[in-house]
Amino acid sequence: MTSKWTSRLIIGLTLTFLIGPFLIIILAGMSAGDFLAFPPDGLSLKWYIKVFTVESFQKSFALSMFLAVFGTLTALVLGVPAAYAISRYDIPFGETIKTVVAAPIIVPGIIVGLALLRYLVIPLGFTVTLALFLAHTALVLPYAVRVVLSSLNNLESDMEEAAVLLGCSRVGAFTRVVLPNIQGGVLAAFILGFVTSFNQVPVSLFLSGPGVRTLPIDMLSYMEITFDPSVAALSALLAFLSVVIVFVAEKFLGFSRYV
Amino acid sequence: MSDRFVSLQKLSLAYGQTEVVPELDLDIREGELIALLGPSGCGKTTTMRAIAGLMAPKTGKIFIDGTDVTRTPANKRGIGLVFQSYALFPHLSAFENVAFGLRLKKMDNLEVTSRVEHGLNTVGLAHLAARKPAEMSGGQQQRLSLSRSLVMEPKVLLLDEPLSNLDARLRLEMRTELQRLQRETGITMVFVTHDQAEALALADRIVLMKEGVIEQLGTADELYNKPASKFAADFFGFENIFAVSDAGIVGNKGSLAGTFEAQDGHLAWRPGAVVVGKGPYEGTVTGVAFAGEQREYVIEAALGQIKATTPATDKRYEIGDSVAFDLPLAGAWHLPEGRQGVLMAK
Repeated sequence: MTSKWTSRLIIGLTLTFLIGPFLIIILAGMSAGDFLAFPPDGLSLKWYIKVFTVESFQKSFALSMFLAVFGTLTALVLGVPAAYAISRYDIPFGETIKTVVAAPIIVPGIIVGLALLRYLVIPLGFTVTLALFLAHTALVLPYAVRVVLSSLNNLESDMEEAAVLLGCSRVGAFTRVVLPNIQGGVLAAFILGFVTSFNQVPVSLFLSGPGVRTLPIDMLSYMEITFDPSVAALSALLAFLSVVIVFVAEKFLGFSRYV
Repeated sequence: MSDRFVSLQKLSLAYGQTEVVPELDLDIREGELIALLGPSGCGKTTTMRAIAGLMAPKTGKIFIDGTDVTRTPANKRGIGLVFQSYALFPHLSAFENVAFGLRLKKMDNLEVTSRVEHGLNTVGLAHLAARKPAEMSGGQQQRLSLSRSLVMEPKVLLLDEPLSNLDARLRLEMRTELQRLQRETGITMVFVTHDQAEALALADRIVLMKEGVIEQLGTADELYNKPASKFAADFFGFENIFAVSDAGIVGNKGSLAGTFEAQDGHLAWRPGAVVVGKGPYEGTVTGVAFAGEQREYVIEAALGQIKATTPATDKRYEIGDSVAFDLPLAGAWHLPEGRQGVLMAK
């Protein structure tokens, strides 16, 4: 009896810890008052509507979308062939390459951001947008390689040889036989990369410049000046977006198989 | 009909620094069903991959139908390969799996359809054309893989362990099927196996390989009844092989005195040739197994282990029993040093 209640308590605390902040943000955004507070001063949806009218949010949302979509696509264009090479060929330093590719996950974002700023943006005079694009691509690349690699490893390499013996070139065998069989993994990598890029703060913090900010950075600076509940409303909307994406991916792809 | 339809000349194969086949010469006749037989690591699969063009030889040449294909890429050689794993394309239906190679040839759709239908019919899968490979049984998958290679009308069809993934009943069925397809199409077939029974049952000729070298090449009859070496004899069921000395025969534990009339080399007996229950020698039964029509014994004797079988209707000995046995000269296979083996007759 005791152990049953203990386990229920632990599950309850865990869920509270995980979901609690989310609920607080949703409610804080629904405040009828002018300041961010919990519990909210009365209920209204005005802040949820207001976020769509803030011009800087529109701009930074567009930038974040651009970075998440194209950064991830670029990472896949680089990462899929890299994963293929690692899984199918006995390339020199294969293990080293895997480790190096994973580095942006292991190295703290603050350091990555500072390093990119100090050694890429300043000396080479890259524009802020280009630097952000390169940084986001690099950050997503490890996910692209890892996720695609795991679905490639589940695929028999005999299949490509069979395709070659039926008249395919090596490249043809890849596009006709390998790609259709790893498309679930590629899509999973895209979603994971998209979410990672979209929520990325520390690296973007260093690389944002005047007028060019990603959405999370823009929200930070907005909060420094204006302490109204719109940031909470926006956070809730973004969290909701992530949940929907992952839910749909799980439903149609069995997303959790790949991650 | 060419006697050298596939010709491997001084072929040397290696994975990096590891040499697998030092120097191989082999001629395969047009329209024959030939088996590359040997234990794992003997180079049989490597040789097959070299014929297919999936690995480049270090030195030597490969001719197919009179043309040097040593430098021809795998996708231009016109060779079919049925993989041990079948290597079907999981995202395509049975129909599309078979159509895969035909479509690459830019054949028009009607032609593809009629060829695929014929191809599926040949292996009895016409009714499963819409299925995905995952929805088919192992035997069906293998026939699909076979059909996918056959519709391409390859000059040579290679098969990697074609029967090893099937259960006993399907194995017999597939064996008959392969022989029928080979007779009907006249395609030269080369199959790789480690199972001597499979090779004996299926092949016109058998190439027995050991450590990258051809140990013996001949018909099933020749290899079974006239093994040329100790290795070949052992592989084809001469389970009792002993060296001949002046005084008798020598096993790994000791020797057995007696007159064996052979001067040198080795004498070999099949388990069935060993006489159990009478004879000049004595041993202890250490193993007995009932195998339907016969009983299999392991007898520990002065020179080492003797493997023997007797008809199941004979007297039964138990583990620990002392038993008399004989290794009769008539029925022994003699492998003299450096000369051809002979059957001993008394």
